[in-house]
Amino acid sequence: MMRPFLAAALAAAALFFTVPAVAATPGVGECMECHGDKTNEMTLPNGTTVSLFVDMQAYRSSVHGGSSCTTCHADAKAPHEKLKKVSCGKCHGDAEKSYAGSSHGKLHAKGITDVPGCDGCHGRHDIRKPKDPAARTFRLNIVATCLRCHKDRAIEQKYNLPDQKVMAAYEQSVHGMASKKSGLTGSAVCVDCHGNHSILPGDLPRSATHRQNIPKMCGKCHPGILEQYDKSVHGKGMRGGIAESPVCTDCHGEHTIAKIHDPSSSVSSRNIPKTCSGCHDKEAISTRYALPKKRFSSYMDSFHGIAVEYGMTKAANCSSCHGVHDILPAADPASSVNKANLPKTCGKCHPNAGPNFAKGDVHVEVSPKKAMGVFAVRLFYTIFISALVMLFVLHLGLELYGRWNRRKENGPGGKEGQS
Amino acid sequence: MSSADLAAGKVIRMSLLFRLQHLLLTVLLLVLAVTGFALMYHENSLAQWIIRLEGGIHNRGIVHRVAAVILMASLAYHIFYMLFSREGKPELRQFYLTKRDFDDVLLSLRYNLGTAKEYPRFGRYGFKEKFQYWGTSVGIVLISITGIMLWAEEFSMLFFPKFILDLALVIHGYQGLMGFVLLFLWHLYNVHLHPSVFPMNPSWITGKVSAEWLLEEHPLEYEKLKEEGLL
Repeated sequence: MMRPFLAAALAAAALFFTVPAVAATPGVGECMECHGDKTNEMTLPNGTTVSLFVDMQAYRSSVHGGSSCTTCHADAKAPHEKLKKVSCGKCHGDAEKSYAGSSHGKLHAKGITDVPGCDGCHGRHDIRKPKDPAARTFRLNIVATCLRCHKDRAIEQKYNLPDQKVMAAYEQSVHGMASKKSGLTGSAVCVDCHGNHSILPGDLPRSATHRQNIPKMCGKCHPGILEQYDKSVHGKGMRGGIAESPVCTDCHGEHTIAKIHDPSSSVSSRNIPKTCSGCHDKEAISTRYALPKKRFSSYMDSFHGIAVEYGMTKAANCSSCHGVHDILPAADPASSVNKANLPKTCGKCHPNAGPNFAKGDVHVEVSPKKAMGVFAVRLFYTIFISALVMLFVLHLGLELYGRWNRRKENGPGGKEGQS
Repeated sequence: MSSADLAAGKVIRMSLLFRLQHLLLTVLLLVLAVTGFALMYHENSLAQWIIRLEGGIHNRGIVHRVAAVILMASLAYHIFYMLFSREGKPELRQFYLTKRDFDDVLLSLRYNLGTAKEYPRFGRYGFKEKFQYWGTSVGIVLISITGIMLWAEEFSMLFFPKFILDLALVIHGYQGLMGFVLLFLWHLYNVHLHPSVFPMNPSWITGKVSAEWLLEEHPLEYEKLKEEGLL
């Protein structure tokens, strides 16, 4: 029983005594003899020079500041040739593993140096904890860290990435403004939606930004909304695997998300009809899911629609009646547009709304089947007015004819009567 | 009728009060048409331009309703005037539709077709004027009722279901269109372009017409005035 322990102890002792004897593992002080010199540079074979200076102060205040150089640079001697690459995964195995599966990691493994390795985002000697406001990965600094590459036009074009407009849009969005302008750490930054080590393009099902994952992803910060959405017809459709059922970003946008009171928002009162009709005015979608048609045109022809179109934003838009995240089909007794609930729904704006509000269509579609009365009255007037115009023309013609006739017979044209 | 008028062969056809009512009606109907059709044809770019000119959709509504209230007030005044005033009562009697008016329609048709030698002899108002008067009156009443229904939509929906208001909206709009077409085609033709008055029947401004014109167009009225010694 004693033997393995003894062997280990002996080995440790041997290590302890032999290593200093070789004098190959330098202490931090020894490293700094060279690397503390700001002018210490090395010229690479391709002619560029690289600074070999290590800022001791930055290192000491970094999260690794208590270790020694050889913790990461295990093969360092004093002096030394080019060292092996540092492997963060030795200690941070999980992070390395998820990084290896990400878009960045896969390209990095192919030797492409445009993509960030660990140091690209975390830094090298000055790595700090993400909670440290000075860290590159601190929530308020992350956007700048990502944009170092993602605002670079050369990189965007080379890898076919979303262009600068998308990035600029984020900075103007409600999330971007909240973190940049208001300094709120609770606002979504890049990694909250895209993930950090495991970033993947949105069209891969494993990606955090894949359609199917979006409600859950937004729900991390907006759990109350997610709960409503899950019960709505859109949420149910999405869970049922209907790809056309909208997720958060379909209505709100992605990098462009703005407050609902912002006129540029896709869900502002003025823009909501266009946003909803993006799907609900599509013949294919209405047919496939047996939805009522002509919702957009019938709304835009109503006083509500006209008023909103001309900027009277207190007039009802789609969501005023149908709800927002909790939209249900009219047939559902819990729906705000169920006939039984209409007086209450209309009553939000029309305080005296009674049962009469539910008698008749709200979206008046003028056709014999849907609104016979309106159709008939319109037809009657159209025929009547056309008849009057034709009668007028006839009357005019007849008077001219009579006048011409009489003049032919007996000089001056006589009278036609007037009023 | 002043002696100067008599000497000049002029006859008063529209009293000052009627001229004022007519002028008010002209202005109000124009305002109502411009503001109303802008809403009815809101998808048209000209309509959009007009709405912007009127200061947006909200102000458009205010202008429309102010004009409508004045119109309804003047209609109410007109009804009382025609029913109860000393000047109005006999005037209203002149507007009564009789069988003769319908005979006159046929006679004027036959005259123009050449199968009758004589044109109908009108009294103070011929059938065209009578039809126009009653058409306008009924139209304004109808458009006022539907307009009030739509204006006080919460109140009217205490009594009527939503689909009745949908009907009211269609009637309101198309009645307006009909009135507009009639006024622009028939009335403007009759008082401006017609050979007997071209370029204009001046009575809506001066209130007067010439005795010759009256003899030509309203011979019965002419004879009546002559009998009464007013000509």
